[in-house]
Amino acid sequence: MNGRTKRLGDRILGGAMVAMLALMLAFLVTPLLVTCLLAFDSRSFLGPLPPPALSLRWFERLASLDYVATGLATSLKIALLATVIDVLVGTAAAVALDRGGFRGRGLLMAAFLSPLIVPAVVIGLALLLFLSRIGVIDGFTRLLCGHVVITLPYVVRTVLASLAGRDRRLTEAALVLGATERQAFWSVTLPLIRSGMVTGAVFAFAVSLDDVAVSMFLTDPSTYTLPVALVSSMRASFDLSIAAAAVLLMAVTAVLIIVLERFVGFDRLLGQGLFRS
Amino acid sequence: MSAVTIARPQELAIPAPARMSLLLLAPGLLILLSIFALPLLGLVLESLKQYVPGRVGSAVDASLTLENYRELATPSFAGVLYETFKLSAAASLAGLMAAFPLAYCIVRRFSPRQRAACIGLLVMLVLLSMLVRTYALELAFGSVGIARPLLLALGISPTSRGYIEVLVEAGLLHAVMPICTLTLLGTIQNIDPRLCDAAQSLGAPAWKAHLGITVPLALPGLVSAFLIAMTFAISAFVIPMVLGKGRVLFLSNTIYTRFSDVANYPSGAAVSIAMLVISLLVLSLASLAHRGKGARS
Amino acid sequence: MTMTRRSLLSLIGASGAVGLASPLLGPAQAATGLTAAEWGGDVVEAMKQIAAKQNLAQFNWVLHQGGAGAILPKIKAAWPKVDYDYIAGWEGSFNSMIAEDWVETITAADVPNLADIPEKIMMRDAKGNVKAVPRAVGGIYFGYRTDTAPFAVTKIDDLFDKRLKGAICWPGPTQSMMLQIVALALQGGGNESNMEPGWKLMKDLAKSGNIGRIAVTDVDFTNSFTSGETSVGFFAEPSWAAVAKNFKITRLTKQAGMATFLYQSGFAVMKNRPNRKATCDFINFAISPEMSALYAKVAGEAPLNGKAAIPPELAHLAFTPKEFDSFVHVPDYKVVLSQQDAWAKRWESDIAPLL
Repeated sequence: MNGRTKRLGDRILGGAMVAMLALMLAFLVTPLLVTCLLAFDSRSFLGPLPPPALSLRWFERLASLDYVATGLATSLKIALLATVIDVLVGTAAAVALDRGGFRGRGLLMAAFLSPLIVPAVVIGLALLLFLSRIGVIDGFTRLLCGHVVITLPYVVRTVLASLAGRDRRLTEAALVLGATERQAFWSVTLPLIRSGMVTGAVFAFAVSLDDVAVSMFLTDPSTYTLPVALVSSMRASFDLSIAAAAVLLMAVTAVLIIVLERFVGFDRLLGQGLFRS
Repeated sequence: MSAVTIARPQELAIPAPARMSLLLLAPGLLILLSIFALPLLGLVLESLKQYVPGRVGSAVDASLTLENYRELATPSFAGVLYETFKLSAAASLAGLMAAFPLAYCIVRRFSPRQRAACIGLLVMLVLLSMLVRTYALELAFGSVGIARPLLLALGISPTSRGYIEVLVEAGLLHAVMPICTLTLLGTIQNIDPRLCDAAQSLGAPAWKAHLGITVPLALPGLVSAFLIAMTFAISAFVIPMVLGKGRVLFLSNTIYTRFSDVANYPSGAAVSIAMLVISLLVLSLASLAHRGKGARS
Repeated sequence: MTMTRRSLLSLIGASGAVGLASPLLGPAQAATGLTAAEWGGDVVEAMKQIAAKQNLAQFNWVLHQGGAGAILPKIKAAWPKVDYDYIAGWEGSFNSMIAEDWVETITAADVPNLADIPEKIMMRDAKGNVKAVPRAVGGIYFGYRTDTAPFAVTKIDDLFDKRLKGAICWPGPTQSMMLQIVALALQGGGNESNMEPGWKLMKDLAKSGNIGRIAVTDVDFTNSFTSGETSVGFFAEPSWAAVAKNFKITRLTKQAGMATFLYQSGFAVMKNRPNRKATCDFINFAISPEMSALYAKVAGEAPLNGKAAIPPELAHLAFTPKEFDSFVHVPDYKVVLSQQDAWAKRWESDIAPLL
């Protein structure tokens, strides 16, 4: 293969890659656009696109429903608490699994992943029955337990993924150069896995904020999350307030990311790994 | 031209004390045990109890029986099992194949601004409510979606089983891609780009360099991403219900039937336990196969 | 909601009756705080309006999440402690609650207005005690969207017509108590106790390719119709009402050969609660003639109180005795409810793979 055909091959493949990426991004973005259309849909039902007229009715409805504020507050509290617990506990567990030095490592890794395999409905019911049997009847505690169970695997897995890919010789080098285990961990390993921790935290937060199937079993008459409240307000009619809520969340996320990028710099937050471009 | 091989990082020369590891594991294990393993055990017990039609779950004094499991030995249940795993695996693989180049571009090709925009988009997608997203896909690509004229022109019936399977795949793919991409970001960050550069300066075309260097180095991360995607897809409920028009059934849909007004919890528990065991088997096979290749996971 | 002179007069008359039933003599009492589990949407809206017209009970409304089924495990888990004073339900959920002995027996002394509710419809336990107070009746029946259906469906055989390819939205095994199969069985000469003709027809229907969507929840059906995905279906009143708000539908409740079923929606008073009397008093108020009419107007289910007027938009649920005999099939609910599990499993093994 001479140089010219090689570069031609590269160029074609490069072009194909760009086309594929563009297609993928279009595919990913389409539901976001449709959600925006739905949130401003003037119709009171789910109809074919495009909407005949736009209106703010769903946002008004969202603002007027009395349980939205309470539900949102509870959802945010639970999501934040669960994420914090997940990051602390999950990172520790992932680090331990990565270090090894004990039997049953593979089994334990599967164990930490297993909540993801059990359908949320089942986790919700199993937890409801179990927690009631041991006397935990408070809605907030039950919800927290449920949310921690379904979000912890995400953090463990993403941190494990970044731990697996890193160059262990760096930690080894630090140790050889005189650092204690703890120093080596905090100054070498932790920065390397930072993106894994941040990614895991984002997943955990997202899953907790969106969950309906587990939460619906664990709420009590005084404690409920926002998605559960929005879904139960629909009996037979599809309430597009959930689209309005989704758009608001998108807007908040966009603002947050712009702020983070401007003031902190995304790269600093996510880390750039070892090799900066 | 010989393939470029990489010297794998050596095992850590300094052994890790087991006690430290166990201490770090303790809180995680405690949580897993108390709010996952024990409730699951309760579920196993429930699955072994007799269900009397018309009651809510099993009675307190119900007798033990294997009937709930025996009822699962049917072709239809095997069919649902097969459908679930087939579609999940296909979606996870496709998701990986799409996410890897995307993640690579984000890390190595984009400017910081583009990177922030792209990651922002991915985070927004992860935060998008599953219910809303699924209905959005239905309205875009479903039988009354904006793609309908195109489908009819191509001669595809939008209500045929083949098409709704594709739609369910698309739904799973859409949910799985952002997760895979974000997971792979960390993996790719830790791969030395100079290795690829070196290979290319030695005469390899870019695709060969990547296939021979980037992909093998990223393999542990790829397997992790695949497992996350697969576990997510297997337990999907809303996607098959809405996009599959209730006709493409996943295991969670089967379970839902037993947890509704017909409160047959023992049978639902049996399906869940069967699903858990089979999934764990399949996933550990996938893990083992990867570990068998010699790379560390 | 305007107050005509006639309704005002009837309200004054009714509150006289209510006044006798409730201890509204003497100084005003503080409202009792009650917790009720209701359906969301128009139903809880109707109940809120009813609650606003009295001041003896104040409510914390908890909404059912997706059907009545999600609340059952919560009650089972907390038992004998109960968080709800009353739970709104229908035959499907009442049956399990009665079997588990979670509900209070209701007597004429508790709820005097029961006298105006048809005896036959009341749900009883094995000993014949009334266990749930019916408030309204809804229908489960065939129908189609008048503007998008390929043709006017008039008999069960029409469902197999090639023109309906992909146009039918059929209820799944958790919906409608599987009465759809009973309807098919009736066509084939069977009934709820002899379902074989029904299963045979169901298999044929599944193989025909005419079923576009299997609705797993109420919302599935409504969305499928409003988005134009399907146009012919068999479903319960709330979904038909939701579609009817925006589209013209033809309800086949008085169509020979297409059976109509009626279900009740009502109140189950829970045991082990401190405010039984206040709960019963409110329920009695809620099923009074004018409150029944109000409920019918807002929630879209026909009132059961014989003295209440049926609003014109619910004319499809008003049957003369002759019409009732020809079009409404009242199955033996004992059979239907005890067979739910078996039928759901049969659906999964025989029908679902064909779809």
